[in-house]
Amino acid sequence: MEFSNEVIFFGALLFLVSILASVVSARLGLPVLLVFLLIGMFAGAEGIGGIAFDNVQLAHLIGSLALAIILFDGGLRTEFRNFRVGLRPALVLATAGVVITAVVMALFAAWVFDLSWYTALLLGAIVGSTDAAAVFSLMHSRGLEIKQRVAATLEIESGSNDPMAIFLTVVLVEAVVAGQAHAGWFLLREFVLQMGVGGVAGVVGGVLLAWLVNQVRLGPGLYPLLVLSGGLLVFGLAAAIGGSGFLAIYIAGLMVGNRRLQRGQNIRRFHHDMAWLSQISMFLILGLLVVPTELLEVALYGIASAAVLILVARPLAVAFCLLPFRFAWREQVFIAWTGLRGAVPIILALFPLLAGVEDAGLLFNVAFFVVLISLLVQGSTINTMARWLKVEVPPETGVFHRLEVDLPGQPEHELVSYRVRPGSAAANRAPDELALPQNIALSLVIRGAELLNARQVDKLVPGDYVYFLAPAGDLKSLDNLFVELHVPERLQPRRFFGEFVINADARLDDLADMYDLDLPDEASGFSAGELLHRRFGQPVVGDRVRLGPAELVVREMGGGRVSRVGLKLLE
Amino acid sequence: MTRSITIGELLDQQRVATDSGITSKKRLMELLSELIADAAPDLGGNEVLNSLLRRERLGSTGLGRGVALPHGRLAEIDRAMGAFVKLEKPIDYDAMDGMPVDLVFALVVPEKATEGHLEILARLAEKLGNQTTCEQLRAAANPAEACEILCQEAPDS
Repeated sequence: MEFSNEVIFFGALLFLVSILASVVSARLGLPVLLVFLLIGMFAGAEGIGGIAFDNVQLAHLIGSLALAIILFDGGLRTEFRNFRVGLRPALVLATAGVVITAVVMALFAAWVFDLSWYTALLLGAIVGSTDAAAVFSLMHSRGLEIKQRVAATLEIESGSNDPMAIFLTVVLVEAVVAGQAHAGWFLLREFVLQMGVGGVAGVVGGVLLAWLVNQVRLGPGLYPLLVLSGGLLVFGLAAAIGGSGFLAIYIAGLMVGNRRLQRGQNIRRFHHDMAWLSQISMFLILGLLVVPTELLEVALYGIASAAVLILVARPLAVAFCLLPFRFAWREQVFIAWTGLRGAVPIILALFPLLAGVEDAGLLFNVAFFVVLISLLVQGSTINTMARWLKVEVPPETGVFHRLEVDLPGQPEHELVSYRVRPGSAAANRAPDELALPQNIALSLVIRGAELLNARQVDKLVPGDYVYFLAPAGDLKSLDNLFVELHVPERLQPRRFFGEFVINADARLDDLADMYDLDLPDEASGFSAGELLHRRFGQPVVGDRVRLGPAELVVREMGGGRVSRVGLKLLE
Repeated sequence: MTRSITIGELLDQQRVATDSGITSKKRLMELLSELIADAAPDLGGNEVLNSLLRRERLGSTGLGRGVALPHGRLAEIDRAMGAFVKLEKPIDYDAMDGMPVDLVFALVVPEKATEGHLEILARLAEKLGNQTTCEQLRAAANPAEACEILCQEAPDS
């Protein structure tokens, strides 16, 4: 009785403080995950909270569960169209990249910590993967929009590299305990089995789950829970039959998230909230678990390890893995810098503790330190780096108030509401001047207490709430009408894409006559779009080519092809 | 020849019109072409129109938010010239943002132009992209007032 009440009280208090602290962290520019971790440490045995928590088994359970939910949410939010440019580089980074990072770290650790080769490799594997929670939250943070090639690569990488790091860690823990490694062929078979079973379970489970959601009639509040329990079932099932549960649940999320679902908005919102809950729980627990004074003992080593990881191992892995792909050097530097470490290394560092590995304490503390430094240094400088390295693009969606309402039994359509803001394109326009796509209908305007239909409104004024019936998911053109642009000068579309819009099929020779462009020999006879495809292979919005006094900038993509090109006159 | 051209040198009150009768992009382009052709004795409206339409085929010159800046190059002229039309009722202009257009500035530059012509084009785009300027132009009561707003030089340039 007493114990339960205490757990509820302290648990609730920690959550409340963490949630409120997220406000402060945004203001200080600190990554919010770091703040959760610090709160856990403050509440811990040596902090003001004095909570003595050393249950490694429980921390491992909560950590794994939370990680699974975060990966599921990440999958739900990753659109298939990002695969066009991001999938192949991300998969190379998620496999070979993890191995290279681990080996480079191991070389360093074997030399500095005087560890055995297996133990050193184990440390490398533990810190080998980037953090899905940290990368997703940064890539979706307000006011930061990164070039699709870079953002998609980072997101898919962070969602799919944990299984690799987990696999390596498990194999190496066994090797350290047994004093010898399994034969190469055995490892290879094990790897193929883990990823193969995980992948298949994810695809099949995800498709079945989406089908189930659209078939059953439930109370509205139960759909999100159905999806969550289905996702976790896929995780457990895949792991039980020898596959990677983490890979399975991420892929299941992808399959579910890219299908039309009834109550789709509800489901997405719920999982986004659950991901937050998971992040807070996971980082709080891991913060509670660590003993800060033991951490201080390895401070020097920890900082050195973090420095080697951030400045040597990750950049090497990125440079090597991206060789076959066409990434500009700036994009590579940004991808290297955004290799954030988060909860996964700490959870992985629990494996050797649970297995009773000799140097497990050292590994845990070093891993913890690496995560602290990575979140602090990399996490708080992402926006600055994005600006320096010019990987930003103008945000497609800025500040607007949009509310989506699922229509019962109508997965194809939803009711969308916007509030008209003073600086938006829709303000002070008549409804028939909005140039709405054909399949979107303005149904209702609420002005103060009045309900008006489209014919009764002669102009939309700031403060109006406008309701549209729209096809689910296709809201970009509506967003553009209602967005109030508060983007910095350098990202204003006119600055970024240039003054004029050119059709992708416009002949370069015609453009050169008009604007005195300097065409390279290869370009004569081509269209603007063809030049960009030749130059970038798979162009993304924001890619640019300079042709003498002007630049051509990819402005809009459609079906994998450049459809509109910006023409920017250079001063 | 590095001296930059000002908007005031391009425009004349004669080539500014506020019109309510136009309902199509084609008619709008014809009106702009006529305004420009009237100012140069040996220039026909058709030549101007063809040059503007040739550029329009490469992509709409709509700048977004109801403003457009059609432009072209002509062998027959020896200096850059502009014309401006303000429409009472916005017309469809095939602009990137899908918004109908009511403020339109047309610019023609000589075929053998100096570097100056890209600069004046950029300056016009800058000016017409400015929300305040556009609001002023929409509020302008007559061509003279609109002309004056367009010809004002930004204090810092």
